[in-house]
Amino acid sequence: MNQAPLSGSPLLELQALNCRFGGLRALDRVSLAVKSGEIFGLIGPNGAGKTTLFNLISGLTAASGGRILWRGQPISGLRPDRIARLGLARTFQNLRLFASMSALENVLVGLHGRGRTPLVAGLLGTAAFRRRQRELEAQAFNLLELLELAPLAQQSAGSLSYGNQRRLEIARALATGPRLLLLDEPAAGLNPAEKSELSALIRLLRQRFDLTVLIIEHHVPLMMDLCDRLAVLNFGERIALGTPELVRRDPAVIEAYLGGAVEEAS
Amino acid sequence: MDHLLQLLVNGLSSGAVYALFALGYTLVFSVLGVINFAHGAVFTLGAYFTYLLIGGAVGANGLLAGLQLPFTLPFPLALLLAGVGAAAVSLLVEAAAFRPLRRRGADPLLALISSLGAGVILVNLLQLLVGAESYAIPTSALGTLPAAVSLGGAQVRTVQLLLMAIAALVVVVLTLWLERSRGGKALQAVAEDPTTARLLGINSDRMVQLAFGVSGFLAGVAGGLVGLSVSIAGPYFGIGYGLKGLGVLVLGGLGSVPGAVLGGLIVGLAEALVPADYSGFKDAVAYAFLFAVLLLRPRGLLGRPTITKV
Amino acid sequence: MPLDASLLVQMLLGALLGLSVYLPLRAGQLSLATPGFYAIGGYTAALLSTRFPALAGDGALYPLPSLLLELVLAALIAGALALAIGGPVLKLKGIYLAIATIALVEILRVLNLNLGFTGGATGLFAIPQPFEGPVGYLLLSLAVLALVCWLCARLERLRLGRAMEAIREDELAAACMGLDTARVKLLSFLFSALVAAVAGVISAHFLNTWNARQGSFDASITTLAFVVFGGSRTWLGPVVGGLALTALPELLRPVGDLRLVVYGLVILLGPILFPQGLITPELLRRLRWPFRQTSAEAPAP
Repeated sequence: MNQAPLSGSPLLELQALNCRFGGLRALDRVSLAVKSGEIFGLIGPNGAGKTTLFNLISGLTAASGGRILWRGQPISGLRPDRIARLGLARTFQNLRLFASMSALENVLVGLHGRGRTPLVAGLLGTAAFRRRQRELEAQAFNLLELLELAPLAQQSAGSLSYGNQRRLEIARALATGPRLLLLDEPAAGLNPAEKSELSALIRLLRQRFDLTVLIIEHHVPLMMDLCDRLAVLNFGERIALGTPELVRRDPAVIEAYLGGAVEEAS
Repeated sequence: MDHLLQLLVNGLSSGAVYALFALGYTLVFSVLGVINFAHGAVFTLGAYFTYLLIGGAVGANGLLAGLQLPFTLPFPLALLLAGVGAAAVSLLVEAAAFRPLRRRGADPLLALISSLGAGVILVNLLQLLVGAESYAIPTSALGTLPAAVSLGGAQVRTVQLLLMAIAALVVVVLTLWLERSRGGKALQAVAEDPTTARLLGINSDRMVQLAFGVSGFLAGVAGGLVGLSVSIAGPYFGIGYGLKGLGVLVLGGLGSVPGAVLGGLIVGLAEALVPADYSGFKDAVAYAFLFAVLLLRPRGLLGRPTITKV
Repeated sequence: MPLDASLLVQMLLGALLGLSVYLPLRAGQLSLATPGFYAIGGYTAALLSTRFPALAGDGALYPLPSLLLELVLAALIAGALALAIGGPVLKLKGIYLAIATIALVEILRVLNLNLGFTGGATGLFAIPQPFEGPVGYLLLSLAVLALVCWLCARLERLRLGRAMEAIREDELAAACMGLDTARVKLLSFLFSALVAAVAGVISAHFLNTWNARQGSFDASITTLAFVVFGGSRTWLGPVVGGLALTALPELLRPVGDLRLVVYGLVILLGPILFPQGLITPELLRRLRWPFRQTSAEAPAP
């Protein structure tokens, strides 16, 4: 089901987004647009407002000003669950899995919205209900397989290794059937081998699920390699926007943040 | 007008009791993040201690029937010692019901239940020892002080003045202590962030004990004063106050000293203003207030909002 | 042996109240409103059967149809109240919710104590007895408890049960997965109210009299103790907790005056010795308890 965005308008658009916590200005009139199908990166030093931006998009934090448009429609002020059901799914920087539930159950929670059966049918365990149940479990299992977690399906999420927990978060987010996947530092805490697999995985997922990806990551070489376009945040302001090549050469970026890292990478 | 003044005085003095109660809860809550359900029992013990120390005799029921201390202390001294005794009991509660759970990093919900168990034990032990009858601390305990003074047309009982004065004193001392002293600052540090506080060399166990000790002392003093102003209506009489104190605490905002005072005064005044014909509904006032405030301001009047880190 | 049919009825009602506290807790909501809804159930039964002759004594609808009518009406009233206040109240978190619900219970208690039609402090007397002796009540409460247990056991394996567990684990993450957390929490609160109201109806007839003491703060905490003691991660926990802690004070009669002290000791030590409660899913798995397998088996390869 390849729903192209309305003619010309981007999938997600942020217009002059502001966010203040007391006196602290976490985001200052940030505007950007994410096009359907691209992998869009957000980079910037710690405290630049990247996660705050994710929280605004996913409805966890209220903006102090500005607009968020999803396929041209404003979504600011909607509850997080409504936003998720519109097709925006996210992962969390500080892993927020349902720790004592199994990996499979975590994914099944993600599939929640697709499992609607009448409560009575469920209570009675009708044949139709059980069939639907098996379908959902198979779907969840497939997602785990795709992320190489299938052998761990029955393990409790909290007992998985860090890298596996990161991938389980992605599997759970994918289960909600998103059009846009928001990844908050998916490489944090991964070992070098896992990090190098991550780019390939994200590309694979984009292709397989026809996804658009918005990603926050500190690992600059990975971002330069992976992203179609990048935005750079510094102290809540968007200081650069463009292709990795363009951003890499942007004097403001070099000044603020990238300098050393880019040289290191090249 | 005089009538209104009288109501104000009555309201403020019972508000002072609620505030003392809520301050005790709030101290423990701010260091541990849990409610101590044994607090009402500690308050009750404070009242009984005071009664015994001023030379009161145990009634005919209970294992200690007829017991009377061989000495009689003046009321202020008795009240102080009762506070110390209540503080000791409060420390005992901490050691039995809170510390084993804290050591294990258990769910705070569990401490709610274990402290309730401690409260049940204390109240029933008390009943076993002194019976279920009610006791009164005679106003003669105040010695040469008059029982009441006339103030702009209102009859103000001396014990009401005492309650208000002591509550005010406690608030001032407590605030100064929390803001100025090393101990108070350490306590606040533990409340803000126990892990960092430990890294800074603050012994958080010691701070928790301090919080329990001070809160027990406040409860004991409040108990003695209520025993004098109303009466000690049996071993269970602290529970009702304890519950209302809880409402006051949340009304003002958990963990906030001025909030506890504000909440106490609001509830005390509101209760005093309930017309006599509807006095049966008085006990619902605190909870109705609490309910309304929570729906409008989920963190109470002066509670600080917490920002969840994502 | 004090373990007679009357005590058994009380134990079964205790188990029902334990389940009533358990249901919202399963969705991470510490609601202590159970005694309030229990009181509503009791007053509904007491008022209907003492004020309307058709529903009592020699009335045409007596005993079973009238009992059924009371159950339905009590459930409707409690359910309506739960839905009305659940929305705003369930926005509160943690201990704030607990205290708001205690406030609700206290408000109801004071109203019941002072309103005319509830019989004031003395309450309502001579509630008709649909059953001759305790055995009838025993069978009725056993049937109701079995039904509620079955529903809870099914629920744990359903989408809704999984949603409740996810909210308990991490409400924010659950919302970000598209779960309508407000609705799931409200449903769990509604279930809790229904179970408590049903228990109240049975209890009012069984006790023969009903007054404001039946729904008080003490009961809030005692019923919470059922769940904490028995374990809050599977429905069997509150059932065991409710049965055991209701029986305990009676079984302790031989220790005489010390019994409430010992009762307090058990409540103090329970959470310390068994922080997960007596019954945990792990324990059930080890014992091969048949009613809760892991909720989703991997499809065969």
